[in-house]
Amino acid sequence: MGYLEAIIILSGINIIAVMGVSILTGYTGLFTIGHAGFMALGGYMSAVMVKEFHLPVILALIIGGFFAGLCSFIIGYPSFRSQLRGDYFAIATLGFSEAIRLVLNNTKTIGPLNIGGAFGYMNIPSATTVPMVVGVLIVGLYLAHMFVTSQFGKNCIAVSQDETAAQMMGVNLLRTKLIALFVSAFYAGVAGGLMGFYFAYLSPSFFTITQSSNLLAAVVFGGIQSLIGPVITAFVLIAIPQLLLVFSEWRLVIYGFLFVIVMIFRPQGLLGYVEMNMNFARVLWNKLLRRKTVDVIEG
Amino acid sequence: MSADIQQSNPILEIKNLTVDFGGVRAVNDVTLSLQPGEFVGLIGPNGAGKTTVFNLITNAIQATSGEILLNGKSILGKSPDQICRLGISRTFQNIRLFPQMTAYENVELGLHSTPHYSLAEAFVRTPRASRVEKQTHQKALELLEVVNLREFARERASSLPYGLQRRLEMARAMATSPQMLLLDEPAAGMNEDECKDLIRLIRQIHESMKYTMIMIEHHMNVVMDLCRDSRIYVLSLGSLLTVGTPTEIQTNPQVIKAYLGERKNG
Repeated sequence: MGYLEAIIILSGINIIAVMGVSILTGYTGLFTIGHAGFMALGGYMSAVMVKEFHLPVILALIIGGFFAGLCSFIIGYPSFRSQLRGDYFAIATLGFSEAIRLVLNNTKTIGPLNIGGAFGYMNIPSATTVPMVVGVLIVGLYLAHMFVTSQFGKNCIAVSQDETAAQMMGVNLLRTKLIALFVSAFYAGVAGGLMGFYFAYLSPSFFTITQSSNLLAAVVFGGIQSLIGPVITAFVLIAIPQLLLVFSEWRLVIYGFLFVIVMIFRPQGLLGYVEMNMNFARVLWNKLLRRKTVDVIEG
Repeated sequence: MSADIQQSNPILEIKNLTVDFGGVRAVNDVTLSLQPGEFVGLIGPNGAGKTTVFNLITNAIQATSGEILLNGKSILGKSPDQICRLGISRTFQNIRLFPQMTAYENVELGLHSTPHYSLAEAFVRTPRASRVEKQTHQKALELLEVVNLREFARERASSLPYGLQRRLEMARAMATSPQMLLLDEPAAGMNEDECKDLIRLIRQIHESMKYTMIMIEHHMNVVMDLCRDSRIYVLSLGSLLTVGTPTEIQTNPQVIKAYLGERKNG
């Protein structure tokens, strides 16, 4: 039971971070390989809030998310101002997240606070439970859905499809991208917070480029402009390595192989452009109804 | 005619506009002025700098020198999205729709490129925000109706036939509620019948929406028909060759020379 629980919690945490990456990469078209940095910022911030200031966990998570979101402006403003995009922006985020990791690695104390440096931040109150992760996940998914279907989200999609045309139609590129980055970093920050409260311990070594690229992989794998795709793949990508443990090193090969297959046959990702909605159910229902009426007429 | 033009205030004034691309002077000392509600044509042989003038007006490229005034205020150095919000909207020579979005979503974008509610309302979707969404929805469908694309609302933009994509671009440009509409070769690649429909559509839009419009076009019958009550600017090699009514342009030897070249033994 404990093992299953661990998988659910860990994949839940990853899914929350992946939703953030999906908003930025899938919907706004900005590739990021630095979201582990935002997870670290949010994680440490929420841990400090609970451990040192004894705030309620949920409030601490929100503060952590906001903190990560605000810090995202540090990298977002200059890079969007100078119109970095594509690989260049991805490299910038990578640099930012590595910088955060190294700073945390080398910071033992901030004033009276002991955050442990490379040893990690210890004795964080343990608070993350399965219902809590699932609760945050559902609320997060709902809010993300609201965001991407809002006027802000639709502007993000337009920016991802044709930046010049979007700007000519009056979309403020800088503001739209900063909002997407903020929301995205918020999600990563909350995920980082949940991570700290689960392990009761945070170490800079959690937040390496491997973590960032896993998040990006889930989005690319799951599909751009889709929330449900990345959510499913994020779960699968956590679960599959566990299932494939018997194959030891070979699992990474299988993992890579799956990626190549998907990229060849579905470059837009498994569920690319598939929105989370009930359209398929409506279509099915209509079909059923039609068949019934046809039956009636023929009968 | 020139007397009453000077009396009322021009909506758009371009003064001595010049732009250099490296050593090439793409637009050279162009001056033009438009009254509110006018419909003027901009023609010229390929490479004359017509689209560059549009790009300069919307500040997709920066002018080397000269001035652009909208309602008497300089818009030089404003970003393209600011210029759009000030009321200049355009279509593109090589269609630039959002390919993966539906026709409806393309038009809708023009309506909400500046969101009409706050970020917090986006997440919680207050009644006010839902009301705004509903209004936007209604307006977008109305605009699709104007260009006769209502039935294609749910089609992906990239899957529409070429002629419909052009019309969709126009609807999207209209969605930003502009004062001025810049049409860049709306009839490109259309046959005679489609051109006639387009002329009717553009005239109807011009009359009902009261936009000031500039149109770049190579189809001479489209230009001559639409500009029959106004004037046509002719650009050649970046400079303004002449201005005049369609009949004046058609018989102007300079224009003919620019288009067809000069007879060697003539």
